[in-house]
Amino acid sequence: MSNLHVGLAGLGSAIGVGLIGARAAEATGRNPGAAGAVRNVAIIFAALAEGIIFFAIYLAK
Amino acid sequence: MKPAALSTLRQSHRSFAAILVLLCAVLSFVITTANAAEEHAAPPHAAVAAAHEAEHHGLPNAAPVLFHIGPLPVNNSMIITWIVALSVIVFAQIATKRIRSAAEAAHEVPSGAQNFWELLVEGLYNFLGEILGPKLIKITFWFFATIFIFILFTNWFGLIPGVGTVGMGHHDAQGFFHLDRPLLRGGNADLNMTAAMALTFFAFWIIWAVRENAHGKTGPAGVVAGGWGIIKHLFASKGSETGFMKVFLIVVFFMVGLIEVVSILFRPVSLSFRLYGNVFAGENILESMQNLVPSLGWLIPVPFYFLELLVGLVQALVFTLLTSVFTLLICTHEEEPGEKAHANH
Repeated sequence: MSNLHVGLAGLGSAIGVGLIGARAAEATGRNPGAAGAVRNVAIIFAALAEGIIFFAIYLAK
Repeated sequence: MKPAALSTLRQSHRSFAAILVLLCAVLSFVITTANAAEEHAAPPHAAVAAAHEAEHHGLPNAAPVLFHIGPLPVNNSMIITWIVALSVIVFAQIATKRIRSAAEAAHEVPSGAQNFWELLVEGLYNFLGEILGPKLIKITFWFFATIFIFILFTNWFGLIPGVGTVGMGHHDAQGFFHLDRPLLRGGNADLNMTAAMALTFFAFWIIWAVRENAHGKTGPAGVVAGGWGIIKHLFASKGSETGFMKVFLIVVFFMVGLIEVVSILFRPVSLSFRLYGNVFAGENILESMQNLVPSLGWLIPVPFYFLELLVGLVQALVFTLLTSVFTLLICTHEEEPGEKAHANH
């Protein structure tokens, strides 16, 4: 059962990171001058989305 | 190099030794308490863990202890931590040996180690300066630069062949050799290390928050003012309405403050789990890929080594960025309407 929990959490954070990456690429394409700022924001939010999976791994029984 | 950046550079490389000593102290404390807790639970667990480990060949979650110095257990992740810390300190000393003032060095372009070190430190200074602003960066740069450089080189050092594959083990009944206690293991593949760094950051986070929210007061009065400033920062209403809406907003912002406090308390946990999880998972992937097809063990991990190079850099960046953003969030004030309005447009 714990495998299912971790799998669902992995699915969720993968979707989240994918959306962030897609939007970051889109934003950089629209405004290449803001590439640095977009990259920083994208890294921060990707890290936050990715953090969910680690909670799932360590908290799942 | 600009004079301001130069003095920060000098200050930062003097702070290297201090912060690393502090990290080691916190690490030893955490690891000693963790080990004491483990000893209580050890007897029933050990047999199960050993039996479990014999079945599948994964990396153990905790770093194996190699030997003891007095009451202090030393594990293989700590040894890598020491090697990297020592190398960084020695390299920083060598690279900054010939540093002089901007006027003296006007005709000279730095080369070699000094050039590399200046590129790294000045690049970090500009990068973090954009996030933190010119005032906060002068106070906090030494910490964030140290944490970035240290995590980056610890992660990359863990990828050198021989880390995790040379060590002590035993022969099983079939005569196969099992490696139980590798001499080296990625420094951040030990939860004690990442927890120590996250807790050290939070100690400094509190100090910086109190100092920035004290608005120039010093001494005990400054601590009181700073503490009150933080409470106001977290719980006070930010609306400008009057009458019923004002009371309503006060309640809402108080509740938001409670949620904020919970999220702040979870930050050290998520910071340490994120770094540990990434590095540990990376080492596990490399080991699994090596054992996937025995005859191709030298080829299959290669793409994953490149992935781990990237992960090592990104995780160092993530830790530095998140900690600096956390610092920025508590240290920015509402009293700058002009700057805020400017930032919004």
